[in-house]
Amino acid sequence: MINDDILQTTNSYLTFQLGDERFAVHVSKLLNILELIPITKVPKSPDYLKGVINLRGSVLGVMDIKMKFNFPITEYTKETCILVLEVLIGDDFTEVGAIVDSVHDVIEIDEKQILPPLSVGIKFKSDFITGVIKYKDKFIMVLDIDKMFNAEQTKIANDDTATEAITVK
Amino acid sequence: MDNFQKKFVEEATDLINNLEEAVLALEKDISNNELIGEVFRIMHSLKGGGGMFGFDDISNFTHNLETIYDEVRTGGLKITDDLMSITFSSVDHLRSLLDPDALKDPQINKNNEILLSSVEAILKGSGTEIPIAEAEEELDQDGDKQTIYIYFAPNESIMDNGTNPLYLIDELCTLGETKVFPRTAKVPLLSRFNYSKCYTAWEVFLVSSENINDIHDVFIFVEDDSELEITKVADFDVLANEGFNEKIQSLYSEKNHFDSAVITSLVNDLLEEKKSRMVNVNEKLKIFTKENVISSIRVSSDKIDHLMNLVSELVTTQASLSLYVEENQVYALNQLSENIENITRQLRDTAFSISLIPIESMLTRFHRLIRDLSSEFNKNIDFITEGAETELDKTLIQGLTDPLMHIIRNSVDHGIEPEQERIDAGKTPQGMIYFKAFYSGASVVIKIQDDGRGIDINKVRQKAIEKELILPDAKYTNKEILDLIFIPGFSTAKNITDISGRGVGMDVVKRKVDEIRGTVDLESKENIGTTITIKLPLTLSIIDGLLVVIGDTKYVMPLNLVDKIYAYEKEQFSNAFNNIIVVDGEQIPFYYLRKEFDIPGEPLDIEQLVLVKYEEKRIGLVVDSVVGEYQAVLKPLGKLYKNHEIISGATILGDGTIALVLDTNKIINEFSFKN
Repeated sequence: MINDDILQTTNSYLTFQLGDERFAVHVSKLLNILELIPITKVPKSPDYLKGVINLRGSVLGVMDIKMKFNFPITEYTKETCILVLEVLIGDDFTEVGAIVDSVHDVIEIDEKQILPPLSVGIKFKSDFITGVIKYKDKFIMVLDIDKMFNAEQTKIANDDTATEAITVK
Repeated sequence: MDNFQKKFVEEATDLINNLEEAVLALEKDISNNELIGEVFRIMHSLKGGGGMFGFDDISNFTHNLETIYDEVRTGGLKITDDLMSITFSSVDHLRSLLDPDALKDPQINKNNEILLSSVEAILKGSGTEIPIAEAEEELDQDGDKQTIYIYFAPNESIMDNGTNPLYLIDELCTLGETKVFPRTAKVPLLSRFNYSKCYTAWEVFLVSSENINDIHDVFIFVEDDSELEITKVADFDVLANEGFNEKIQSLYSEKNHFDSAVITSLVNDLLEEKKSRMVNVNEKLKIFTKENVISSIRVSSDKIDHLMNLVSELVTTQASLSLYVEENQVYALNQLSENIENITRQLRDTAFSISLIPIESMLTRFHRLIRDLSSEFNKNIDFITEGAETELDKTLIQGLTDPLMHIIRNSVDHGIEPEQERIDAGKTPQGMIYFKAFYSGASVVIKIQDDGRGIDINKVRQKAIEKELILPDAKYTNKEILDLIFIPGFSTAKNITDISGRGVGMDVVKRKVDEIRGTVDLESKENIGTTITIKLPLTLSIIDGLLVVIGDTKYVMPLNLVDKIYAYEKEQFSNAFNNIIVVDGEQIPFYYLRKEFDIPGEPLDIEQLVLVKYEEKRIGLVVDSVVGEYQAVLKPLGKLYKNHEIISGATILGDGTIALVLDTNKIINEFSFKN
């Protein structure tokens, strides 16, 4: 068993793809990565809530992050995965599933290498981004998933420009 | 606080609750000796326990109170209204004393002194009172006495170091009533007798309230090289029974010793006799029968939760087994699997009933509340309860206590009028609050009704306009106006009292009841009274369900709500006018779930109409097909779906897929409102 403290202090991040952008979450937030299995849709719920799955005997709600944050919608592929994350909703830690386009690797990043999010000129709301990593000539955005799941009905992308920017690229 | 103290606090809380219950009953029937005995006994246990675990404040405080009730018990003192109210205040005070540092609070300390001095005042005046009744019940006066059998055979050389075994026996005799039998079988002939040796052994029956350890202490210095046996033979005084005395006497003269088997059988005979007498007494005085007849144990709620989880898992596993057997047609396993299913079902029901608590458990508090409030407001109120034995899940009971307290407070404060006003209005001088609980289908209903002045619709309307909740000229039905009371920040109380009118009224009640998935309904007629109805689902974590299919998804409906199932061709639904279909000559409104749930795809040619009970009516829900009965382990949908009302949870099927559990009441509510 890995001690929680060690986990908190490691500098490992899982990187994954949403549309054309690469994002990262701290591994302490990540519980599991599942391949895309059939999801039971719950009637009368918003589209971005894809439904529920059976995760080792308990029921896990699954959300399509791209849908929730108004990214352009694409078909699910063989690479599409469900990240099982532990997020703080309200005052309780809750497990949620998040659908991402594909999962890349786990990278080790020294905290000093994480740059503060730029407030100008980027297409994502800095509220949900704790920092930016420059890794092999690519920019990876570190997500604050607690904030993301708590903010009701928000869009991660800056409304006007972002959607276009992504589609144009 | 160490573990023992925590245990004591837990037990003492129970004792104090029992005390309150007994005192309330005593107030109604002050000459009931059984109840007086009960009050005395509880105080006695509190005193003893308090002293033992270092709660000296409790023990000191209870001491004088106990003395009073001892006097009452023996007829030296009469129960007065004064004594009753001091006892009630003492019950409350005892609760606050459960905090070991309570007396550091100046308020509590002052209270402590006041109560102590009034208790003393009663004690001093005791001589002048007239005795109320002769104590005639000897049966339950044993208190916590027990009978202990001690066999003590000292080492022959015990007297070498100056110990006199007779002193030890004497010391035993100081602990309580004793019967001592020397065992002299080992005493040799006089020619071989050595005067410096001890040949005698002793058998002692001791009736005492000391615990076994204290008795052990008597022998602490000789224990190591003597034969010593200390056993408790009974929880009561066996020596008081003459038959027993005679028997042991004759046994002794016959054999010169006893063996424990003989004693046990003697005691058992005695117990039987005592029990049969107990039954007689209980028939006369039914109020405390439960404690005497039903034995119960204390189990931590964590353990119950754990048990429930295990049972849930077992039910899920069993479903997988059934599925496997069905798919593979293993003949030998078939019978086995059915047996397991049967046992699992029984286990599940038993495990459930463990976590159910009768509503009665919170009624004492309400009795007390009404008693206190009515004297404070100078109102005359009778509190009538019905269906106290109705059982609810313990978590529901916890969630309900506060809202119910609030409703009752409202009834006392705003509802019931002062006596004169009632007489002027042509009502009986005594107001009534009626509390009723009963099962209705898959719900438990709790009704609280008063015959007070009711709610003034115009006043509510006026207030709502003032607070800009409604427009002055808008038309509303009386019911809609009444429902405004549930809006946060709404309170019509003229004066702010310490119990109501803080603006956190019925909205909090509604919110709390919502939290446990219940509904609140309010009816009121001016001058006739107000009725509040709370309806709660029997939210249990496993339900018997009907498994149905719509599209790709399986759903579970609570089986106890399902009335009948009919098959119809799809056209009969699509052609139906205004969603009404005629079934067995009765017009039944139905909801086409495939459409209501926006499920894509073509319906089957033959579809199923499931009739479910809704309030007093039957409503149809149309599904693709019906699979069959299914024991569903309810699992929450999680935080992402926390606002989702029509689905009460999910369950995992034998093949690992998920079925959603439908809350049919909420579905019908939502769709009928929409239409």
